[in-house]
Amino acid sequence: MQRRDFVKAMMAASVSARAMLGQQPSTTPVAPSTLPPTATTAPGPLPWMRGLMEVKPLQVRQISPDAIAETQTQFFSETQMGSLRHLCSVMMPALNGQPGAKEAETPEFLDFLISVSPEDRQQLYRSGLDRLESEARKQFSKSFAEVSDAQAGEILKPWLRTWMSDHPPTEPFADFVNIANGDIRTATINSQAWADATKKAGHNTPDQGLYWYPVDPDLRREGACERKSS
Amino acid sequence: MAEEKVDVLIIGSGHSGGMAAKILTEKGIRCLMLNAGPIADVHKDTEPRAAYELPFRGFKDPEKLPHVFQANEFNVNTWVDEKEVPYTYDTGKPYNWVRVRLFGGRSLFWSRQSFRMSDYELKGKSHDGYGDDWPISHADIAPYYSRVEAIFRVKGRPEGLPQYPDGNFIVDDAPWSGCMQRWVDAGKKIGVPVTKQRSSEGVDGLASSVNLLLPDAFATGKLDAIPNVVVREIRADKNTGLANEVFFVDRLSGREMSVKARVIVLAAGTLESTRLLLNSKIANSSGVLGHYLSDQIYGAGIVCSVPEARDGKAKPGLMGGSALIPRFRNIKTREKNFLRGYALNCWSSTGPMDPRNFAAYGAELQQKLDSYHGSGFGVGLMGEVLSRYENKVSIDPNTVDAWGIPALHIDTKYTDNEYNMAKDAVDTASEMAHDAGFEVLSQNPIPNPPGYSIHELGTARMGDDAKTSVLNKWNQSHDLKNLFVVDASCFVSAAWQNPTMTILALSMRASEHLAEQMRQGNV
Repeated sequence: MQRRDFVKAMMAASVSARAMLGQQPSTTPVAPSTLPPTATTAPGPLPWMRGLMEVKPLQVRQISPDAIAETQTQFFSETQMGSLRHLCSVMMPALNGQPGAKEAETPEFLDFLISVSPEDRQQLYRSGLDRLESEARKQFSKSFAEVSDAQAGEILKPWLRTWMSDHPPTEPFADFVNIANGDIRTATINSQAWADATKKAGHNTPDQGLYWYPVDPDLRREGACERKSS
Repeated sequence: MAEEKVDVLIIGSGHSGGMAAKILTEKGIRCLMLNAGPIADVHKDTEPRAAYELPFRGFKDPEKLPHVFQANEFNVNTWVDEKEVPYTYDTGKPYNWVRVRLFGGRSLFWSRQSFRMSDYELKGKSHDGYGDDWPISHADIAPYYSRVEAIFRVKGRPEGLPQYPDGNFIVDDAPWSGCMQRWVDAGKKIGVPVTKQRSSEGVDGLASSVNLLLPDAFATGKLDAIPNVVVREIRADKNTGLANEVFFVDRLSGREMSVKARVIVLAAGTLESTRLLLNSKIANSSGVLGHYLSDQIYGAGIVCSVPEARDGKAKPGLMGGSALIPRFRNIKTREKNFLRGYALNCWSSTGPMDPRNFAAYGAELQQKLDSYHGSGFGVGLMGEVLSRYENKVSIDPNTVDAWGIPALHIDTKYTDNEYNMAKDAVDTASEMAHDAGFEVLSQNPIPNPPGYSIHELGTARMGDDAKTSVLNKWNQSHDLKNLFVVDASCFVSAAWQNPTMTILALSMRASEHLAEQMRQGNV
């Protein structure tokens, strides 16, 4: 399926490349009634796309980068990243044979996600992580990355709220705590590590969805237009 | 070929355009349909994927579609890109404009709620003194509602309530589930009617222009369609005072084109239709084009749990099902702090709970999710937003879309009437939940931003007086006799009802009127 689309795309590229070459101005002037010369091949002895339709499908052993590579964090400061890693471990530990946020590389993914998010979301996370650090220093004289689960609970639990639809809590720190709680959970459940563990346990992957490719541009459709005769 | 004049040019292919095409072509009238987007084919355009295979792990590109709360990473490509077709609003007055330009428009994706408007809405001013009456009543639309309900196969139950007119239904006589019966009883105690939902069954699970309307139109051989063309301007002939030519751009190549037509039917969706009229500088001798934008408040509600269904102990028949509480405020009595009314969607869930309903994390959260699984009961608000002159759209002189077409500036906000209504809804639902023995887990009385309901209504309102309305009661421009606007821009007031059935019925009614006028040679 994917390969067929690839070949189709290559064919389409070939057609448009030809058409473009055909539209290049000729050095010799031609009468308006004469079609410009059509170049059927690129420079060189052979057509560019020769053999693609005949070749046997290549069996690519495609893997997702998460399966083997590590995300390079770049957005949060070292202290913020330390707080985020610990927050992830506290809020989403490994349970019931499923990976936790740490195993799902959720902290590293969130560093990426927030780095490409709008500024207000970046600010929410940065100030929230800073607040965790300052609360830990104030209450326990150590970094948030080093507090116990119980100590983390003392900092976090007063700010937990229930909320619904698109209306997170409005106080900034409560907003952060509850948004992060949701993001950490979603990023973990949607991870490959989670899907692999689910599959291993003999369950269906829970995060399957129907993905829509871009419907546009629409040029690959066949027979879409009929020329109308008067 | 280019000299051939089209009988009727239809701009838009959603519910309203599809209905116009069906009615007109079945009367033997040759139609051409223009649509701003491509034709979607779910077999070619979709594939099952795991969230981890997507670039943002299911979160969606955070830069994309910030105003479409309905978008996720799986469906992000089905909505209109806000960067390609931008719109503007003033700081502090956000608007969520949710658009689809695929062939069939938003009729491809809708919640299927299928309601008639009653005279409490159509003649609202006569009832409570606010706003304006529509120039038509339920009796005028009723025969068309019936035919639309037959096409869309609306399932419902006759309830005999004047504010919730009965229709031509596939009768839903299924018994209530146990928790719904408790909800019905709780409503009875405080005079709140709990009724069956009314919903379009459609055919093969789909209730869209593309499977219920357009196939009939194409089958006549009288309809041609051009996808991927964006209409820039409708131009009127200065001598005849009629709209006679439409200018559009090929969205892929940027080639500019035009086509002449005897009649133009505008069905681009409320705000796109009005944007086109404003950009064309036509149909606005009244000066009210763009004004009276309204919609419905959504997003407020409550989430509950039915205690007897927890820990897997639900007896068969206790959970599941849905219900509707149609408007009950300001019918026989008058509320102190808001006009008009709202409906409540009520549903019972046998699936997982949203973790947001628990102030917990980690193992404690997981324990709650396991325990509460299959015990959910939700209530969501749909409330009328008052139609106000000052809620308006205009052309933003400083912003254009990908084809250089001036963008829309949207200037609208909710007021105390809407906020008070939402609070009343949440209080009432919570009271009923307590009475029914449900545990209320979350409450939210704040509506989502305007536009979120995807029910933008008004801005080219109908009326008998050409000085105070854009269209007459047949959806025909007061200024240009051969211009019809058949989408929800014609609405005089929003009502609490999902507008789809009304849009369809009015488009059917307008199209039959147009066909008759064409037969008589008046248009």
